[in-house]
Order: sequence, then C-alpha cells, then structure tokens
Amino acid sequence: MPPIAQYVFNGVVTGGILALPAVAFSLLWRLLRFPNFAVSTYLTVGAYVALVLNHGVRASIELAWLGALVVTGALALLVDRIAFRPMRDRRPFSLAIASIGVAFVLENVVRFVWGNDFRSYDVPVTRGMSVAGLRIGRDQLLILGVAVVLMALAQAFLLRTRLGIAMRATADNPRLAAVKGVPTERVIALATLGGGGLAGGAGVFLGLDASIDPLMGGGLIISVFAAAILGGIGSAPGALAGALIVGIMEEVGMLVVPPTYKTAIGFTIILAVLLVRPTGLAGARS
Amino acid sequence: MTALLEVHELSAGYGDSDILHGLSLRVDDGELVAVIGPNGAGKSTLLKTLAGLVRPRSGRIALRGADITGAGTRRIVASGLCYVPQEANVFPSLSVWENLTIGAWTAPGASNERARAVVDLFPVLAERRRARAGTLSGGERQMLAMAMALMVEPRLLLLDEPSAGLAPALQRLVFDRVREINARGLGILLVEQNARESLALCQRAYVLAMGRVRAEGAGGALRDDPEIRRLYLGG
Repeated sequence: MPPIAQYVFNGVVTGGILALPAVAFSLLWRLLRFPNFAVSTYLTVGAYVALVLNHGVRASIELAWLGALVVTGALALLVDRIAFRPMRDRRPFSLAIASIGVAFVLENVVRFVWGNDFRSYDVPVTRGMSVAGLRIGRDQLLILGVAVVLMALAQAFLLRTRLGIAMRATADNPRLAAVKGVPTERVIALATLGGGGLAGGAGVFLGLDASIDPLMGGGLIISVFAAAILGGIGSAPGALAGALIVGIMEEVGMLVVPPTYKTAIGFTIILAVLLVRPTGLAGARS
Repeated sequence: MTALLEVHELSAGYGDSDILHGLSLRVDDGELVAVIGPNGAGKSTLLKTLAGLVRPRSGRIALRGADITGAGTRRIVASGLCYVPQEANVFPSLSVWENLTIGAWTAPGASNERARAVVDLFPVLAERRRARAGTLSGGERQMLAMAMALMVEPRLLLLDEPSAGLAPALQRLVFDRVREINARGLGILLVEQNARESLALCQRAYVLAMGRVRAEGAGGALRDDPEIRRLYLGG
C-alpha cells in the first residue's frame, strides 16, 4: 500500500486542478451574486474541445490546451449573453437554477455528440519519477506548475491592474461602479471569459490526470463549491488554499472511506465551513 | 448665458409611479444650490435621475446646453457631472487609493497627481491611503466619497446628504469642505436634510414637496420666510 504521502501528493495535484474552476466560481459569484453551477461543466467542455483538436487535427496537447482555454472562454461568454444577462436583475436563486439548467444542456450535448465512453488524449507516454518513495508523473508536475502560475496571474491582475481594480469595484457595488463610469457589463464579460477559460484549461488537466467522459466536470461541482466556500467567496488566494485542502482531504479520505463516498467528503467540508466559519478562510465580509 | 445645469419639466420615478412631477431648476457656473424639503419630496430621486440611474419619463436635462436627457451613467460622468450617493458611496473592499483610482475612471491621465491634489483637501485620506474603505469611520468615508468625485475634475457635483449620520463636529467639517470646493469654482447641487445649515451655505435654494418645486430663492431669503420656516425648518 502506498504511503500516506503519495495520497497527499495526489491530493495536491487534484487541488491544483480544482483551484482553477474554484477561483472562477468564487469570483463570478462575488461579481454576479449567484453560484454559477455551470462552471464545473466548463471543465467537460474544455476537455472535449482539446480532445477534438488533439485527435481531429493532431494538435499537440499544449496547443489543444490553449484551444480549450479560448473556446471554453468564448462559450462561457455566449452562455452569459443567452442565459444569464437577460436575468441580471433576478434573485440569485433563479440564476442559480438557470445555471444548473445550462450545465444539463452542455453535458447532454457532449454526451450526444461524443457518447458516454471514457477517452484519453494522444500524448507520449512518460515514465514517472520516483522521489523519496513517491511516484511523481511529469504531467502532474507540469499541471501543478501551470495551475500555480495561472493563479498568480489572476491575483496580480485583480490587485495590480486598473481593470482588475474595476472588477473588484464592480463586485463591491455595481451601481456605484456604473456611476463612476466603469463599463460594468464589459467587466462582467471579461470575468466570464477568463473564468470560462480557466475552467476549460482545468478540464484538459483533469483529462490528462484521469480520463475524459461527459460527467467529469459536473461530478466535481461539490468539490468546487466546497473549495470556494472554504476559501471565502471572492478571494482568489482563498480559493487556491481551499482547493488544495479539499483535494488533499478527498485523496487522503480514500484511506478511510470507499471511493464511492468521495463526494461526501466535499459535502462534509461545506457543512463544516458553514457551521464553523461561514466567511471562509479569507474571511471577506460579504 | 447658458446655465451649467438646466432641468426643464422633469418627470421620473420607479415602476409605474412618478416621484418627480414636472420639476424645473437651474444651477449656474460656480453656484452652490441647495435642495431642501420633507422626506419623500423626491430629493434623492432628483439626483439619481440627473446621474443617469433613474430614467426620466419626460422633460429635459441639459449640461452647459448639451442635452443629456436619458444618457447612460458613463456619458454623464464623462461630461462633467459627478454624483455622490448618500449611502454605499465608497467601495468597501478596495483601499482608499484604489477607490480614488476608480473615481478617476473616465479621466485616467495623470490620476496620481490629481489624487495628491485631492488628498490635500482631505489630509486624513493620505494617512489612510492603504486602508480598506470599509474600515474607515463615517466621516472619513464621506470625505473619500467626495474625493472620488473630484478625481474627474467635474463641473458640477451632486451631493446627497453629505452630513447624514455624522456627529455635529464632523458635519461642520463636511460643510466647510463643501464651501471650499465651491469656492474653487465648482457648481454644487446639494440635497440636505439639515435645511438650516444648507440654506446658510448656499447661494440659492429650491424647496421641494411632492416632486415639485414649491419655492425658490436666495438661501437667506428662504430662511427668513415665515411660511418656509413653519413648514420646513420647524418653526
């Protein structure tokens, strides 16, 4: 049986992947004031976009990843225009339900076109390294590295750029932002594009780390939700920390509970956070 | 001479009900004009409509002769009219400095220099430039809200009850600043619950009731009018 450290490492990689949609989910929630459950389905979309590019036009996985980023971002934008924008002033509950509807539609389109089979990318097989008794795949390191860089870029954008400050201002008070001349709809479009892109890229990572199937993203919604809540809604570093904790707990939890109960770990985390510290780790006041 | 702001027969409201019923007023260049009246008279709605947050049903709004009736918030602030709401008038999770950056959104050039100039007027903001606006005291927040508006070097400032909820000493400080900003040549349309103070401060005033202008005149004259005193100044 592998040592516990192996589970922890696998959990860190899972957490790195999870961090991307968790940040997207968290920031979009803060900005638009509803939990967008379609975000985790964007992982599926991204994975299949890359699959088409990788299998169909023989694009390298790096190129396919970029393609998934762009196409999924654009799709998220389209979904926002069709489904969410006409409902901007509705209650958060209605929008959350609409997002579940969007997730259903996307998932079933994927299922209809590509079927239910498990698939994988055409990538050269690499031998894993063995460091201090841990099996570490090169893909895993790459995934982790890219995820961390993307998180850092997202954070730098939010803190250092004019548009990033405008995004936080719009999240704080959209009416006041509009009064100050901030083009709030364009800010929302940019966040949607970026969030969709991050989730789409994460889908490719997930496909590389595990496999590709129509339920891969939707099945993660509880974990994404848990990571965002744990980190504190609206905080990018919080979502990263939350995702790492959720990833590690889910993997290490396999030692104690059967894999079928993996989702229950996410639920337990959500429950615990809401009971003990509803504002999450970052503790942003809402 | 064209007025800085000219409002003609303005009607506006929420949903199906009008709050403003054919209201007309004007502000000249560099003039400080107060709007007083009982609760529900439409004072705040008037400012929101001028700022582009409430769509006018009929009438005309002109800034320096240019028609801005029904224009979006962005065009209005870009044309030199800046609105400071009564509540939620700063971004709580942003630092003081970031708030000023957003204040300068439509005029980003040289915003650092302008921020320094604006902060000269409100020195407390310089000390707290890195603090989150949500941690500021009520008085400091009001200063920041006004400073944000000044970041675009507007021609006309709309202030909605800047003294509301402040201790008397802070109210005096806010009114001093309003006077000082006006002395620099900026037109101000001031809505105030504190009618006595604002009548003393302004050059002219309008008395609003039920969405209409009931009286207008020089601040001092209105203050000495027995009818106005009885109805709006508490005897």
